[in-house]
This record gives sequence, C-alpha cells and structure tokens, in this order.
Amino acid sequence: MKTFRRFISPLLIVAMVLGSLPVAAAPQASDGGLIGTQAALDAERTTDARERIHEVLARDDVREQLLAQGVDPADVEARVAALSDDEAHQMADQLDEMPAGASVVGALFAVFVILLVTDILGLTNVFPFTR
Amino acid sequence: MTRPPSHGIRSARLAGVLLLGLVLVLLEGCATTPRLSESAVQALPSRALIEDVPFHAQRDYQCGPASLAMALNHQGVEASVDELIPQVFLPGREGSVQPEMLAAVRRHGRIPFVIDNRFEALLTELADGQPVVVLQNLALPAWPLWHYAVAIGYDRDANELILHSGEEAERIESFRRFDATWARSDRWAFVALPPGDLPVGIDADDAIAATADFERVQGVEAALPGWEALTQRFPGAAMAHFALGNARHATGDRRGAIHAFRRAVAVDDELAAGWLNLGLALRQQGESDAARAALRHAAALPGPWQSRARDALAEAGESDR
Repeated sequence: MKTFRRFISPLLIVAMVLGSLPVAAAPQASDGGLIGTQAALDAERTTDARERIHEVLARDDVREQLLAQGVDPADVEARVAALSDDEAHQMADQLDEMPAGASVVGALFAVFVILLVTDILGLTNVFPFTR
Repeated sequence: MTRPPSHGIRSARLAGVLLLGLVLVLLEGCATTPRLSESAVQALPSRALIEDVPFHAQRDYQCGPASLAMALNHQGVEASVDELIPQVFLPGREGSVQPEMLAAVRRHGRIPFVIDNRFEALLTELADGQPVVVLQNLALPAWPLWHYAVAIGYDRDANELILHSGEEAERIESFRRFDATWARSDRWAFVALPPGDLPVGIDADDAIAATADFERVQGVEAALPGWEALTQRFPGAAMAHFALGNARHATGDRRGAIHAFRRAVAVDDELAAGWLNLGLALRQQGESDAARAALRHAAALPGPWQSRARDALAEAGESDR
C-alpha cells in the first residue's frame, strides 16, 4: 500500500496541480479581505500546496464512496459537508480499513471458541453470559 | 542431527509450554486493570454517575446512531435514533465510522471534542458530568466487533465503569475488561459540548481545531461563544485570539475584533496573519496610522501572507497621501 501510494502520489500531484491550481491557490478570505481562521490554520499546518489540492479532491472521493456504500443520495451532500478537512481526508484514504461500530461478528465456530475463552479471561466482551 | 527421539519430544513439549506461557503473559500484559496517576487519584472522586443520560437501546447494527442520540439528548438536542441513522450509518459496512460520528455532532450544533486517549481522561470527563462516547472492539483484533457505547459513570472502589451499551442501560463493566476492549480502538472517545463549553482535559491546539471545524459547518455566529471560551481557557494561544477576532469581525463587532487581534499579536508577535488582520480591521475603522504600523509588522514577516501584507501596506500608504 505504501509503495503503491509512493508511486501514485507524484503522478496524481502533477495531474492535479495542472488541473486545479486556481482553485487551490485562491486564498480563503472573510469579508474586508481579512485572513480567515481556517485559512490561517491551514497555512500553519501545511505550507504545502499539494496537501490542499488533495483536500479539495477528498470530498469528491468521499461523496462517491458514500454512494457506493449504499447511502441515500439525498443524504450524501449534507454528510460530506459536515466533515472537517482532516476527516474527509481520512475517509477518502482509508474508509475500507476504518472500524465501523456495528456489533456483529462473523459466526465462525473456531472464532466462537477462541472468543469464548478470551471472554472468560476477561480480554474481550462478546458474550453476555461470561460475565 | 541424530538426536534421541525422546529428547526431541521433550524439547517440543517444553517449547509448547513456553509458548503457551508467553501467549498468556502477553495477553495478560494487555489486560491489566488500568492504573491512574497519583494526581488523578487525588483529583478524581471515588465514584461518579451521570443520572440523566437518556437510554436508547440499539437495534440491529445501530450502536452508532443510538450512542449519538444519547450523547446529544443529554445536551438538550432533540435528535431521535431514526433521524440519526441516515446521518451516520453506512449500509455497505453495516456500521458507522468515527469521522461521521463527529460530523453528525456538528450537524446538531454541538462541538465534538475527541479526548485524550488515556483512561484517566475518560474518568475526568465523567467526574465533570459529561457522558463520553467510546469506541470498543469487543472481540479480538483479528475478528473485530466494533461497538460504540456511552460511558456515564464509574466506581473506583469496585473498579467498575458504567455504560449505556447496546441493549443494556447502566451496564457495569470491570475497568480491566473495559480497558482491554477500549485499548483496541486506541482508546478513542469523544464528548459533545455546546459552543462555549470545553472538556476538562484538552490541549489548546486540539480545542482550536475542533472549534474551527465546527465553525466551518455551523457558521461564525454559532462558533463565537466557543472562541470566547477558548481565549479564556488558553490566554496564551495566539490562534484562539486570532480566531475570536475573525468571529467578532464577521458578526459586526469591529472594536471587539481589533481588541482580540491585538491580544493575538501580543501573545505571538510573529503571527503574520494576526498583524495583517489587525491592520485591515484598523483601516476599516479609519485609524490609518495604527493600521499602517500593524501592516508594517505583517509585511516584515516572511510567510504565506507577506505579499498580501505588502499590498495592503501600499494601499494604506497611498490612500493617505
């Protein structure tokens, strides 16, 4: 995954720099030409234009992923809009590996036995009757 | 290479016993009752229970929306589980992911603060009367069983945590078992607070980021009390004063904005954005001498705002002549 990313990043960066430079370079300003808080925070954290370009794209990416996960199209926009830049970034990069709080476990018998033992040892908390 | 067979069997058995012992030691190692620091032991009451956290039993895979509803209802937000499901649930994953849990809190006008990933940070929030949404892996890393629950109290004498979890209200889990399952999410937990309130244990940068993220979603007016609270809690955080200045300016309080920008640059005189905004705000108030002085500071500092500061300084100089 790392090496793949290392390989694909420069390509993406070049493509994106050409495509979206005006969008990314436009500084965010509140009224009266003041520097916005978010813009100042971004500038503090990343002086790197690449990072900011990535964030613009991240939200598009998340939009598509939510649709692919079966989210109602009517809900997608509001869900994406409520994410912070960092969160959009994380979702775009690693939604598949993210823990999804759900409370179901694959019901394999071997797994059942192992979890039963670890439950009794007090390491896990799968079966209510072990307490 | 030709060892007597009995010797081989014996060493294999020995290795097996050693391996088993090692595995047990390792497993035990990650599941001891969490220790609290000396200062936490003294500061924390021996027990705490937040009584008025409403309970919503989860249905199917909906522990995310149910936990959110409990945390939000406690904050006075009328959000039902049914309303929250389409806001956080991912049908394809049959669950809810952390960023969307935080995002949903923002949508309901509360600021999600992810707290420090230490056991005593959790107890500290509970002692302060804030229910804490926690992410646990109830099973093992190889077959995860991710689960959101709401911690509502603890009893240090009994070493027990009290949670609204799954289909059980006020469920009691031993510190040891809870910490073993919580540690697998890297002890991820958050509190949902109205703008103006801050968790007990949070550092300035995290609080500023959380408030800025909230402001992006809910707008400046909603975030203003949050910035006020931040500058009071962290008077040494230049960025908090700066953000307060912006929020005041955007809501029409120009005098207040100038005051906050001045505090920002008094704390950190290399905050170029602070000097620049101070200069621009002063110029709008017609105080051109003071504006030029501030803009000169901004223009002298290298960084992303330097060219804009120079432009603004040139404008300020020209309009005056």
